[in-house]
Amino acid sequence: MTYINNAALIKRQLMVRLAKMMFAGTLGTQVDYIPLQQAPRESASVRCCIHHDRAVLRYRLMALLGFAVENEKPEDEIRTLASYVAEVEQKGADRLDDKILTVIDEACSSCVRANYRVTNACRGCVARQCIMNCPKNAIHIENGHAVIDEKICVSCGICAKACPYHSIIYQPIPCEEACPVNAIKQDERGKEKIDESKCIHCGRCQQACPFGAVMERSEIFDVLRMVLNPACKTIAMIAPAIVGQFNTELGKVVTALKKLGFDHVVEVAYGADLTAEKETAEFVERVEHGSVCMTSSCCPAYVEAVNKHISNIKPLVSDTPSPMRLTGEWAGQKWPGAKRIFIGPCVAKRAEARASEHVENVLTFEELGSILVAAGVDVLECEETTPDQVATATGRKFAISGGVAGAVIAAASGRGVKADEKLFNGLDKKAFATLKVVDKVIKNTTFIEVMTCEGGCLHGPGVISNPVVARRFLEKMLKEHP
Amino acid sequence: MSKKFKITICSGTACYVLGGAQLMMLEDLMPAEFRDQVEIVGSACLQACRQGGSGQPPFVKINDYLMESASIAKIVDYLRKH
Repeated sequence: MTYINNAALIKRQLMVRLAKMMFAGTLGTQVDYIPLQQAPRESASVRCCIHHDRAVLRYRLMALLGFAVENEKPEDEIRTLASYVAEVEQKGADRLDDKILTVIDEACSSCVRANYRVTNACRGCVARQCIMNCPKNAIHIENGHAVIDEKICVSCGICAKACPYHSIIYQPIPCEEACPVNAIKQDERGKEKIDESKCIHCGRCQQACPFGAVMERSEIFDVLRMVLNPACKTIAMIAPAIVGQFNTELGKVVTALKKLGFDHVVEVAYGADLTAEKETAEFVERVEHGSVCMTSSCCPAYVEAVNKHISNIKPLVSDTPSPMRLTGEWAGQKWPGAKRIFIGPCVAKRAEARASEHVENVLTFEELGSILVAAGVDVLECEETTPDQVATATGRKFAISGGVAGAVIAAASGRGVKADEKLFNGLDKKAFATLKVVDKVIKNTTFIEVMTCEGGCLHGPGVISNPVVARRFLEKMLKEHP
Repeated sequence: MSKKFKITICSGTACYVLGGAQLMMLEDLMPAEFRDQVEIVGSACLQACRQGGSGQPPFVKINDYLMESASIAKIVDYLRKH
């Protein structure tokens, strides 16, 4: 379940301010005013003071301009945001190399080192099981209450189990708890750092951090620059999960995109139709050659997870390109030279797009939404237009868990191959353990679908709509256009 | 019989993107005690954002009262007090 949270809203408000300045052509001269506008002098501060809030806002804007906050040198602290805008102009997409996600250390609250904490429910009892049973001697009594020394505690949890009053609680570090691959860890100062060699770009840490300290390196600037340039032709490639993102029909979103300045709008679900077809052919061929099973390959975070963590099952992953890549390839042939911008719910697609020659840039739905707000385009007030390339229900179902497997298994059955399906709906630590040995534990002739986000792309980190609401729209659309 | 409260949720893009999306869950999350008393309707842009007031989206109208920075908690709180 995704909860609405203030950190996400602040990010969107900043995106709107940034995009408004780009539309007005004043970004280069006015960008340094944004933190002041967002946190004006008389407003209540969230952190210790308004100046800390503004400092964090400045870092957020750096991330929105595409920079990795970690790369800031000590002397850069006095740099203006305008100088970063100038650097974007000069370096272009080269600045986006390396990390996908960036941690704002100034925003990171350096959460508790020890996962256990004594609450005021402690009665300072005589038995003192917590002290008696702590293997590290990390607990002592202070003012009649047990206290855990964070520097000594190893978070074994024995004290919490031993306390008869349940006064010791488990307190997670939200980003670390959310990360399925232990890629985010505290440094010696307690600030979180992402290990790029482990990160699969699922975006969960970003959603989990209550301080909004993890941010994507946005490509809003690059995309708006292209869209605002009449000489530059642009193609919006909209992911299947876009259905229901603006609480209205898909056709209106298509018109809104054209009003923004996109020259063509293509449903990536069309590429998903192609993926389903190719993936079925591949699956049937593999089965005929004696393979036990094959897994889907459309979820980029899963593919990254295989590459970085469970490379032993690499041979089981389908070689069929993802819907995004097939759509990009198709669009590149249809409109040569036009810039292809994938618009989706996904952080990991950024990495996939950078590695692909068929996609130039990636926007999330919340970025698109913020740009529309800045441009004053109201989706509900738009007429409906048909996309330049439409898809079938098969491709549109790729947005939800079970959609890919359903398509492949139905098509394989048409070719005389009866297959079972196995869904990994959400990539957590348990799913990892099973996947590692999946070919040993699964029935013959199984198609395995893996979605990193539980529920599928509608639950991705870049969505606007509550997934429950989005799903209602998608189901309505599938019913009307079976 | 008309209901006691008519709640109009603005689904204009500005409201929807800046927090209004969550308000679409209002009907599902409405406490049982109010279910019979409220009528929830979605609406195109209420124009509240364009009138240049100081309020922040998302906007919601409860009968004639215009609520700014609306959230499900704020709406339910309002219903309790009225």
